[in-house]
Amino acid sequence: MNRLDPRVQLLWVASAAVSALVVGGVLFAVVTFLSPPFLPSWTPYAAAAVVFLLGALVAVARYRSWGYEVREDSLYLERGVFTRVRTVVPFVRIQHVDSSRGPIERVIGLASTVVYTAGSRGADVAVPGLTADNADELRERLKRLAIRSEGDDAV
Amino acid sequence: MAARRLSPLSVPYRVFQRGGSIVAALAFTLATGGFSLPFIGLAGPLVLVGLASLVAIVFVAYEYAYFRRFAYELAADTLDIESGVFARRNREIPLRRIQNVDISRNVVQRAVGIAAVSFETAGGGETEASLRFVSFEEAKRLQRELGRLKRGESLDADGELSEPDSRVLFELDGRELAILGALSFDFRVPGVLFVFFSGSLTFVTSYLPEGLGPLLVVVGVFVLLVLGMLASWVAGAVLAVVNYYDFRLVRSADELQYQRGLLQRYDGSIPFDKVQTLTIADNPLKRWTGYATLLVETAGYAPGQGDSSSRGSEAAVPVARRERIERLVEDIEPVGTPDFRRPPKRTRRRYFGRYCIVIGAAAAALYGANAVFGPVLPWYAPLALLPVAAVGAHYKWKHRGYWLGENHIVTRNGVLKRETKVVPYYRIQTVIDTRTVFQRRLGLASVVVDTAGSLSIGGQDAAAVDIDAGDADGLREELESRLRVAVAAHRRGRVGMGVEEEGDAPESVDGRDSEDESAESESGNEEPDPFVWGETYGDDSDARAGDDADDGGGGVDDDSV
Repeated sequence: MNRLDPRVQLLWVASAAVSALVVGGVLFAVVTFLSPPFLPSWTPYAAAAVVFLLGALVAVARYRSWGYEVREDSLYLERGVFTRVRTVVPFVRIQHVDSSRGPIERVIGLASTVVYTAGSRGADVAVPGLTADNADELRERLKRLAIRSEGDDAV
Repeated sequence: MAARRLSPLSVPYRVFQRGGSIVAALAFTLATGGFSLPFIGLAGPLVLVGLASLVAIVFVAYEYAYFRRFAYELAADTLDIESGVFARRNREIPLRRIQNVDISRNVVQRAVGIAAVSFETAGGGETEASLRFVSFEEAKRLQRELGRLKRGESLDADGELSEPDSRVLFELDGRELAILGALSFDFRVPGVLFVFFSGSLTFVTSYLPEGLGPLLVVVGVFVLLVLGMLASWVAGAVLAVVNYYDFRLVRSADELQYQRGLLQRYDGSIPFDKVQTLTIADNPLKRWTGYATLLVETAGYAPGQGDSSSRGSEAAVPVARRERIERLVEDIEPVGTPDFRRPPKRTRRRYFGRYCIVIGAAAAALYGANAVFGPVLPWYAPLALLPVAAVGAHYKWKHRGYWLGENHIVTRNGVLKRETKVVPYYRIQTVIDTRTVFQRRLGLASVVVDTAGSLSIGGQDAAAVDIDAGDADGLREELESRLRVAVAAHRRGRVGMGVEEEGDAPESVDGRDSEDESAESESGNEEPDPFVWGETYGDDSDARAGDDADDGGGGVDDDSV
């Protein structure tokens, strides 16, 4: 079972920080402009800290739960903190493979590989947190495997 | 074969179709006084007539140009269409990718003998290409010819298209049509009526004498409600009868063809090898009376998609005797007799707990309401529902299950809206195993089998819900390997949808049987379920005949099309 690059935790922690900032900002605005009596002035900071802490914990847990494996005939993914999800994507069913790099991913030096099938949940199958080289390599590998098992069996 | 044109009759038809809607719109705006005519005096009508004829000439010219510039050709392996008056478009659609060919004709089109043809491909709800309009014979020829080309057959010696032997699989009989009508409601009608009459409501009330009392209002509302229900029922019945009059499914070579409709006739074909899943749906009432609904899904579109008037559930049997539905399923997909394996009994506790939470929440809400508004109902009143919850949990468990057949996985879920889904292993796209926190606590898992084009029915994929975690691990692997075997078999052109079986099933990958025995004691099929598939088609589904699936070696890809 392959693990993701540990740096992906940075990415997820960063997104937790963003949501913490949003929550804190909204609460801060409420406290400053409406100043309801039941909200002490420190609530925004406390809420932001709690959200950030929880988000960071989940990020680490998510990293630990993630794993993928290129098997003989299929791609196997395992992930999920609260709901564990295991996905099997047979190579015959792969329609196309993308690797993508978002702006924050680029800063950290990571990339994702996305596998598309004709299934109704096809685009769900994405492997985040790969190094750029790894993502390209995984994409090429899956492409080769998909072509090898190719037929007219995609749909 | 030379490029063909649309039927010449399509020009006048399209002109009238387009002109008709514009005239109707104009008449509507004029009638409702949307705007007043700017032309006053004697010249007014003349100018109007002149404008109208100018518009008519433009229409005729445009439609004629459209007709002139539209050409299509059914080549050896593509359907080529050139079209467009101003922006030209050339399309080539590989025949193999065409999923459905639909022909529709409304009353006028039937009278003049033309038809609209739509070609659907996988991937997207949109119609890939349509011909508006060709003669009905040409439409049928296209449908047949397409099927023939896809099969790779050649023409007869005299160049004539041989009529494939077709067999009627299913016909909706009068009683079933009547039942369908009686069960159909169309709630759009009361809405429309309401919009129409809401304006006149104040008008009516102004005539009523003052102080008639609330009784009259209550009676009036009640009468209105009853009338509304009646109207929607009548409308639903009429619509159902109009849509499904003379519904039939015909098996023609390797295609499933359907025909239906009283005023507008629909006539379509679905290649068997494009069928993704079959769904048998029923509810307690239908189970009681022995009726069911069948839905056939292809990757091109699924039943219920789009608006029902144009192309709703084409290959769906709206309602029919359960035996007939099962026979039809057996005809389309030789499934065998499913012997559902239920989730472990501990799931009943889970469902009961779930219902208890709802009841508890209701009790708490009532307690709060009593505290605020004074006593309404005793707060513990919802607790009377606990026995119902227990029974409900039992039935939820009882109707849930999955079964692995020779070539199909069959899953069943739901009580009030029970769906039995048949998915050929060959159609599996991905296998997804999910376990929530609560499921893990009980050692349970849900395995979802994703297929192409199952998005429409509320995202309801075939799923084995709440099965034992260990079984789920096994099932995941099993489905994967069965898909592999099915693909290999398909490449050799043996096992396909609707292909008559010769009794040699693909190799069953081992690892199920031994566990079945031990698990049976807990998950149990202890009592004969009155609603199971029925023993009517008792072919030996347990026979795991033949392990010759690997003898073909590196499968020759000759006829995988």
